[in-house]
Amino acid sequence: MITFVIRRVLYSIPVLFAASVLIFVSVTAIGDPLATLKVNPLLSKVTVQRIEERKHLNESIPVQYGYWVKDALTNKFGTPLLQPGNRIWDDLRRVIPHTLQLVLLAEILALLIGVGIGVYSAIRQYSAFDYSATTLSFLGFAMPVFWLALMLQVLFTNIFLKWNVRIFYTSGLSSEDTGGGIHFVVDRLQHLAIPAMTLMVISIATYSRFMRASMLEVINSDYVRTARAKGLMERKVTLKHALRNALIPVVTVSALNFGALIGGAVITETIFQLDGMGNYFISNLFSQDAYAVMAWLMVTATAVILFNLIADIAYGYLDPRIRYD
Amino acid sequence: MHRRSLRLALGVLVAATGLIIAGAAGGVSQKANAGSVVFGAEQEPPCLNGFLEGCNNTWTSWTAAIALASPYIVMPDFSIRPYMGSAKLLKKKPFTLRVVLNKKAKWSDGKALTANDLIFTWHEIMNPNYELAGRAGWELIKSAKRNNARTVTFTFSKAYAPWKVMLATSILPQHALQGENFNEVWNTNYKNKQGQEMASGPFKIQSYTKGQSIVMVRNSSFFGHRPALDKITFVFRTNTDTEIQAIRGGEVDAIYPQPQLQLAALRGQAGLRIQSNAGTTIEHLDLNSGAGNSNPLLGQRWFRQAIAYSLDRRAMVRQLFRTLNPSLPVLQNLTYTTNQRGLYKAHFQRYTRNVAKVTALFKAHNCTKGGDGIYSCGGQRASVRLGTTAGNKLRELAVEIMQAQAKSAGIEFRPDSQPSSLFFPRIADNKYDIALFAWVGTGDPAGQRDIYGCPTKNAQGDVIKGGSNWKSYCNKNVTRLLEASDSALSAKTRAAEVNGADAIMATDVPSIPLYQKPTYFVFKTKLGGFKDNPTLQGPTWNTERWTTR
Repeated sequence: MITFVIRRVLYSIPVLFAASVLIFVSVTAIGDPLATLKVNPLLSKVTVQRIEERKHLNESIPVQYGYWVKDALTNKFGTPLLQPGNRIWDDLRRVIPHTLQLVLLAEILALLIGVGIGVYSAIRQYSAFDYSATTLSFLGFAMPVFWLALMLQVLFTNIFLKWNVRIFYTSGLSSEDTGGGIHFVVDRLQHLAIPAMTLMVISIATYSRFMRASMLEVINSDYVRTARAKGLMERKVTLKHALRNALIPVVTVSALNFGALIGGAVITETIFQLDGMGNYFISNLFSQDAYAVMAWLMVTATAVILFNLIADIAYGYLDPRIRYD
Repeated sequence: MHRRSLRLALGVLVAATGLIIAGAAGGVSQKANAGSVVFGAEQEPPCLNGFLEGCNNTWTSWTAAIALASPYIVMPDFSIRPYMGSAKLLKKKPFTLRVVLNKKAKWSDGKALTANDLIFTWHEIMNPNYELAGRAGWELIKSAKRNNARTVTFTFSKAYAPWKVMLATSILPQHALQGENFNEVWNTNYKNKQGQEMASGPFKIQSYTKGQSIVMVRNSSFFGHRPALDKITFVFRTNTDTEIQAIRGGEVDAIYPQPQLQLAALRGQAGLRIQSNAGTTIEHLDLNSGAGNSNPLLGQRWFRQAIAYSLDRRAMVRQLFRTLNPSLPVLQNLTYTTNQRGLYKAHFQRYTRNVAKVTALFKAHNCTKGGDGIYSCGGQRASVRLGTTAGNKLRELAVEIMQAQAKSAGIEFRPDSQPSSLFFPRIADNKYDIALFAWVGTGDPAGQRDIYGCPTKNAQGDVIKGGSNWKSYCNKNVTRLLEASDSALSAKTRAAEVNGADAIMATDVPSIPLYQKPTYFVFKTKLGGFKDNPTLQGPTWNTERWTTR
């Protein structure tokens, strides 16, 4: 197992390198990041020159990439394009926890609900519940995230306007002056609830479908039939024997999903104004700040690689038939 | 069902209900506290030092920078009035200004705001090591003499007409910033060396949570009218739809969004008031008569006039803004805005849609209409590219409208829009035909020579004047008049020179003015003292007068 892990980590290095080159070239090739500044007739050329020299924008792309690597390794990814007083790593340290909070909340709830729906759909195959769950899953897959986000914002605003009761907030991470402790937690949950709901819909659809399919395969298998034949209660057969084995693919899918979401749900965070990885990425991409985008990429790529690895290890752990060398 | 499962389910249900009730109870009381306002800011300042190019964003000056007062302030009627000081022209040659600071002006740490601070501000602006957004006017100062604790006499190398605009710059505290690297200091706060927040304006920064909010609290040392509010919280809401729901749902008390069509939903909403005025963002068409265009007809004045006659700008403005600001006028001047009564002259008014004139112009130049309805002149089709910044819905709609109008008059506009990062370099390289974009003005015509004057190069071949004249327009009379206006000290003379240039341009048609993008100030009716300022001074120009009723 350790050999497997080390091998996977070593394989990841060229992957990260290739990804960094590809993204760096893509971002720098979009155009001159100072283009919008240069059209300002009041901006002095000396200032533009200073920025170009500071960020080596007048060098070739391979040379610029080299400077980026140096800054990434020795200066914690360096500074943003136009704000030399800020530090990219400080910005990332600020936004990562916000995205983690949202993703954890959304994924844990999605897993609980999705698994529950999937199990019950499998047990009551072809029932009204099963058909309803299937239909709603397909609706969930088809629903555009941005539309759902906006509709939920309108819904909860209208609830407030009608009954003057604020259940959830439609934007932002927290209110002012919440203080600490339980008030902060409740306030944060109120702010993350609607974004989490938005993210959960597609995750619930995915996990319920996976769970249903996996559960159907397991409950019709020989050992489950044997367990029933031995006289075990149906509940025990389902939860202790069938569910644990049926969970294997769902666990691996959710680990992969979690890793991908660390990069930030761009649309969700933009609409709900959440100061997370997605919002950070999109605002720096629009500014063509290659350093900030690359830092985001490194964190995201590392998270994806790590969670892929976790998924593989978890799979091997849960299914004793799988062994890694 | 098993009893344990039932108890567990019941427990989860009770907990969830409790959470909702606790949150809802908190929500019911979540109104703005007496004496505080929550303002939805459409952009987060990239950093708080608005002097730096990287932080030079209108929302920097509309949020944190209200902590830093300036000698002059731009009023909603576009006049520039004394605020934390006043200035007097002592001599025209050499151009000499005496600035006197308000004797009550002091910093929030208790130290007096003095002439030393003003001189220090000049030095900081002129430091070539700092990546500043602009030095206009300050670079002409040859010397500064401290007459007394409140008075400075500046001597300029040449007359500078827009000196009041120059003095609408915040003053920096010498005792807090001396010896600091201005490129790096004051990015996230305005603290002095002892860690105290500095302010000379009505509010000072209490906290800045990046990505979330800036909290400003009353500055008790403010020289002017005592602010009624205890606190203003600027929360960042960069998505227009989110802003709309936030103000509808009472999560914010005011917003100042860019005009977008969906804002019309707020009209008629109970408890909200809307103010909309023509702003200083001048939307216009630039017609490229240079070598980079794809159609040499653009180099002909008559063709550019034909384009102007083919458009119904009034219908377009009405269609774009009928739900947001139905009374928004068409702009008929490239140099002054409709708000500037007495200065604004409608030189472009003659260009109403007139297909007969378009036809006459084409026929006079031996052009014939093709089977597709588009004129052709000696084999050259009257077909040009019309580009704008892709993704801007209002501009894209404007392009569609103009395309239809021009086509019915015999001119073809081929849409050619790109994202702004590609669009602006292209037009700066002269590689376009017609470009729809905006100049963001101050209301003062300073800088027009750079946009409409003939390019002038130095010995090294660098363009030193007319650097923003990307359309290769060159009329010596226009250049002379605009250059003279930058140093004309008589307001009447200056206006005559600027309007003289504009009148010539109304014949040459290097650009076609369209409209001033309207401001859109939405706030709760319970708030008092809120008055839109459509200049770059912005909606927070008078925060000391804001109240909650």
